[in-house]
Amino acid sequence: MPSEFPMNDPRNIWQNQPTEPFKMSADQLRHKAQQRQRKARFEALFSIIVGLTLCVFFARTLVTADELLLRTGLGLLSLWCLYSAYQAYKWIWPGRLEPDATLSTTLQSYRLELEKRRDYTRHLWRKAGLTFCFLGLALIIVPGLIKALGDPRLALNVLPVCVLLAIWLAIFFPMRKRRQQKLQHEIDELDTFERESQ
Amino acid sequence: MSQDSLYREAADAYSSSLDRLARAYELDPEIRRDLLQDIHLHLWRSLANFDRRCSLRTWVYRVAHNVATGHVIRRRRIRDRLVSIENLETMPGSDQGELAASQTEALERLSMLIQRLKPLDRQIIVSYLEGMDAGSIGEITGLSPANISMKVYRIKNILRRWFGEGGLHAE
Repeated sequence: MPSEFPMNDPRNIWQNQPTEPFKMSADQLRHKAQQRQRKARFEALFSIIVGLTLCVFFARTLVTADELLLRTGLGLLSLWCLYSAYQAYKWIWPGRLEPDATLSTTLQSYRLELEKRRDYTRHLWRKAGLTFCFLGLALIIVPGLIKALGDPRLALNVLPVCVLLAIWLAIFFPMRKRRQQKLQHEIDELDTFERESQ
Repeated sequence: MSQDSLYREAADAYSSSLDRLARAYELDPEIRRDLLQDIHLHLWRSLANFDRRCSLRTWVYRVAHNVATGHVIRRRRIRDRLVSIENLETMPGSDQGELAASQTEALERLSMLIQRLKPLDRQIIVSYLEGMDAGSIGEITGLSPANISMKVYRIKNILRRWFGEGGLHAE
């Protein structure tokens, strides 16, 4: 391609690069926005329905269960499913996670986005209600495990699940902490940058 | 002026700039097309709240950079490898100022440089390459013109090392 401007002038190189025209009209954009909203609403509804169905399932099983520990475990799982359905409504429902791209400068927007990610990572355990979930599962599984201790063959059957769970926990917590630290480091950098800028 | 006519005005005036901006944030053509569509979608939606407290150009660039920054932040693995202008200044340049043989090569070199930068620094370099002054860049990013001037000075040094004297020539 013959050069029409100096190859050592970055502004010219940048501004004269070939671009493609954007072909969507305002009407098409409106249609696209509506389509996205419908999709987001469907996804939220799906999560809510799954959560509520599981909640009812665990509650029904609870009614027919005999052992106290099992009933408590099923109760906790049922509560967790209800909580998950509420979280799906709170966080996934269209409009609730819309990035505010207009009211802030790019520096504020960048910081908000980083803080949102950091807080999500920091409070993931609480926000996802994982304490209810794990406690409920433990109450259902542990009585079976105690019984299995008497029979080594049964204990061997549950061993792979326990190993996988231990590996997941060993990876999950350090990774979460590392991610949090990286995000915090980026936020601190922005703070310093902003302070110096004033 | 209605939201649609404002959008048409913005798209007519800044469509090419937005396309270039999307290239600064995403190399993959398929993902870039989605990003550009996202930028236009956010822009169209945002114009319902446009109150003329800043110029249409500032508004368009703010929305576009914010959407594109969100895109970079979501791609965590890529973000982890990004550096600041200050870091880049101390790194060796590409070909140490040798002139690029063609427009395509020069553009590739420039894109490679931009893609290595963190979002905020990328905003500054892209705005600089678009021909904006420190005041306009400050209005978009929220940084003071003095800080922008310092960054732009560093950008020029880097560009001079990557492109020869033209990095400074481009005023």
